[in-house]
Amino acid sequence: MTVEEIRGVNEIDRFPIGMRVLAVDDDPTCLKLLDGLLRKCQYQVTTTNQAITALKMLKENRNRFDLVISDVYMPDMDGFKLLELVGLEMDLPVIMLSGNSDPKLVMKGITHGACDYLVKPVRLEELRNIWQHVIRRKVESKPQSKSNNNHEKSSQGNEGGDQNVKLNRKRKDEDEDVEENGHESDDDPSSQKKPRVVWSIDLHRKFVAAVDQLGNEKAMPRRILDLMNVDGLTRENVASHLQKYRLYLKRISHQANMVVAFGGSKDASSYMRMSPLEGFGDFRTLSSLGRLSNAAYAPAGILGRLNSATGVTLHSLMAPPLVQETQNKLRPVNHQNMNLFQDIPSSFDQCSNKPNTQLTDFSSVEESRIFTGTKLADFNSIDESRMFTGSNPLTDPSVVLGSKPSLKLSSTGSDSFNLLSSSSNFLDQNGNQPSNFSSNQLPIGENYGYSATVSGGIRSSITATAAVPLEAHGGGLVGEIMQNVNNQSLSNQKNGQYSKQDYSQYSQNAFSTLASLALASGGGGLSGPLSHGGLNGGTSALFKTEMPGLETKMRSGEDGFVVNNIYGSLDDLMTGMTKREQEARMMMDGEFGYDPYAFGPCT
Amino acid sequence: MDRNQMQMHRQIANIRKSLFDQEYLDEQFIQLEELQDNSNPNFVEEVVTLFYRDSARFLYNLDQALEKRPLDFSKLDSLMHQFKGSSSSIGAKKVKIECTHFRDYCNARNAEGCKRTFQHVKKEYTTLKKKLEAYFQMSRQTGPVERACRPR
Repeated sequence: MTVEEIRGVNEIDRFPIGMRVLAVDDDPTCLKLLDGLLRKCQYQVTTTNQAITALKMLKENRNRFDLVISDVYMPDMDGFKLLELVGLEMDLPVIMLSGNSDPKLVMKGITHGACDYLVKPVRLEELRNIWQHVIRRKVESKPQSKSNNNHEKSSQGNEGGDQNVKLNRKRKDEDEDVEENGHESDDDPSSQKKPRVVWSIDLHRKFVAAVDQLGNEKAMPRRILDLMNVDGLTRENVASHLQKYRLYLKRISHQANMVVAFGGSKDASSYMRMSPLEGFGDFRTLSSLGRLSNAAYAPAGILGRLNSATGVTLHSLMAPPLVQETQNKLRPVNHQNMNLFQDIPSSFDQCSNKPNTQLTDFSSVEESRIFTGTKLADFNSIDESRMFTGSNPLTDPSVVLGSKPSLKLSSTGSDSFNLLSSSSNFLDQNGNQPSNFSSNQLPIGENYGYSATVSGGIRSSITATAAVPLEAHGGGLVGEIMQNVNNQSLSNQKNGQYSKQDYSQYSQNAFSTLASLALASGGGGLSGPLSHGGLNGGTSALFKTEMPGLETKMRSGEDGFVVNNIYGSLDDLMTGMTKREQEARMMMDGEFGYDPYAFGPCT
Repeated sequence: MDRNQMQMHRQIANIRKSLFDQEYLDEQFIQLEELQDNSNPNFVEEVVTLFYRDSARFLYNLDQALEKRPLDFSKLDSLMHQFKGSSSSIGAKKVKIECTHFRDYCNARNAEGCKRTFQHVKKEYTTLKKKLEAYFQMSRQTGPVERACRPR
C-alpha cells in the first residue's frame, strides 16, 4: 500500500495527466489510433487486443489502472461481458467503444455498468474528458458511506467505490476525493484508530474465521487480532467489530426465527415467490417457509441476477423500488416466523438432503464471488458464516448456514468468469438452473439442520450464491437470495410477482452495487452488520443471502439501503443495526429494516 | 527552403487537399495528423499502413463469404461492420460510405446489391491506398513539413 500511496500521490497531483488507462480492442488499427489519442491526452496507456489478456492484467493488479476502455465487439469475449467482470470485480470505470451507435446498444452498455459509451471513430475531445469518470466514481462512493454512517463519521473515503478497502484507507490522503473524516482521523494522533477501519469482505472474512476458530464465546479481541494477522488493525478495531458482530448474530437469530415463522403465512406466499422453494422440490415441505422466504427473497432474485449485475450505478435505482415492495410484502409474513421456524428444522432436514445432490453446482456461489469481485476468492473463507457458530445452533439459522456455506464457497473457487457465466446462465434459463442453485444452497441449508433448517432450506435455494453467511441471519435472507435466484427462474414460471425482469434489473444492479458495495465496504464480509441493521424482516434476508461481502452488496442493491450500508463499512452497519434493533422489529414484518439506511443512500 | 522543396511542399499540400475535396478522406484523417508530433513522427503513415495490412483479411473473408450459397447475411454484416470501423478510424470516407451501402443491402438481404457494393468498396479501398502511398512517399521525400496548409 505504501507504493500505492506514493504513486497515488504523484498521480493525484498531476491528475488527469498520467491517468492509467487500459485500452482493449481487437482491431489493431483502432487500437493504435486509440493509443495515439490517449497519449495525446497525456494519459499512461496500456493496450491489448485481447479481452482475456486485459482481464488478466486487471486481476493481477487492480490498482494498476484507473480506467478501462474497451471495444464492444471482440472475437474472444463480448465487450459487455468484460464490462461486467471488470465492473463487478474490480469496480473500475469502464468506457465502451463501438462502431455501432445504435441506441439499444448504448443502453445495454450503460445498463451493464459502463460509465460511458463512445462511438467510433473516437475524437480527441471526447477522450480528454474521460478522466471525469474516475473522479465521479470515487465521489459517488463517498456520499453513500456518509449517509450510512449516521452515527459515525464516514471517515473512510471511497468506501463504496473502492474494492480495496485497505488501500482506500491508505490512499485516502492521496485520493482526490479524500474525505475530511479520513483526514481528521489521521490528524488525531491520540485517537487509537487510524483512519477508520473499513471492514472489507476480506478483512471481515478473516475476522470471522478467527472468531470461528476461537469459538464465539471465547473469542477475545486480542486473540482474534493475532489470528487475523493483519497490519494496521488494532485491538480496539477488532473489539468494536466483535461487539457488532455479536449483536449481529443475535439479531440474525431473531430474524431467522421470524423468517421461519413467516414462511407459513399465506400472504407471504403471495408475495414471495414461491417458486424458489418449489424449484427445489425437496423444499416443498418448506414451502411455507419458502413462501416466507420468497417474499423476503425478492431481493434475492437480485442476487441471482448478480451475474448479470450491471454497473453499480444502477443499483440505487433498482434497489429502492424492490425493497419497498418486499418490505410491504414481508411484513405480514414475519409474524409467523417464529412458529414456523421450529417446525422447519425437521422438514428442512428432509429437504436438505436432496438438494445436496445438487449442491455440486456452486456456480452460484462462485458467482457471488464474482460479485464480490476480488473477494470472491475470499469467499472461501466465507466460513465466516461460521461466525454464527457461536450463536445458538438451533435458533440461529445463520449458524447452520454459516458453517456450510463457507465450505461450499471455497470449493467453487474457480474462475470468476465461469461463475459469472454460469450464474448468468442460471438466471436466464430459469428452469434448470435454479434447481442447481437450490441444491447448492442446500449444503448451506443443511447447516441449518436444526431450527435453522427453515432458513437453511430457504437459504439453500438461495444461498447458492454464497449467501450462506447471510442465512444465518434469519435464514430467510439467505433463502431469499437463493430464492431470488431460483425465483428468477421460477418466478417466471410461477409468480408473476417478481418477474425475472424485475429481478434481473435488480440483480444486475444489486450485484453491481452490491459487489461494489461489498468490496468497498467490506461489509459483505460481515453479513451480520447488514442483518443487524434493518434486516430484521425482509431485509435481513437480503443481506443474508449474500455472502458476507456479497450480501452487503446485494442488500444494498436490493433493498436500496443495503448499498448504503456497505459503503458505510461494516462498522457503520453494525452500529446502525444495533440502533435499529427496534426498528428491525418492525422490519421483521417483512420489510427491510434498513429503511433509513437503505433508501437513504440509494436514492 | 529552396525553390524545389517549396514546390514539392506545395504539391503535397495540393494532393492532400484534393484527397479531402474528393472526399477520399475526412476529418478523422486530420485527427491522425494532429496526433503526429515529435514523439510520434510517423504516426499517420503507421496507422494507415497498419490499416491496409490488417484490413486485407477482412476483404478476403468477405470475398469468401460472398462466394457461399446461400449468403450468410449476418456474417457478412458483422464482417463489414468491423471493416467499416477500421476504415473510419483512418478517415477513409468513400470506403466508409460504400461499407454503409453494403450493410444496407445486407439488411435488406439483397444478395446482388451486396455483391455489387462490395466491388465498389474494393475499388475505393484500392484507389485510396494508391493515393495515400503516393502521398506518403512524397512527404517522406520532402522531409517532415509543417502542416500549415492543412484545411480545417
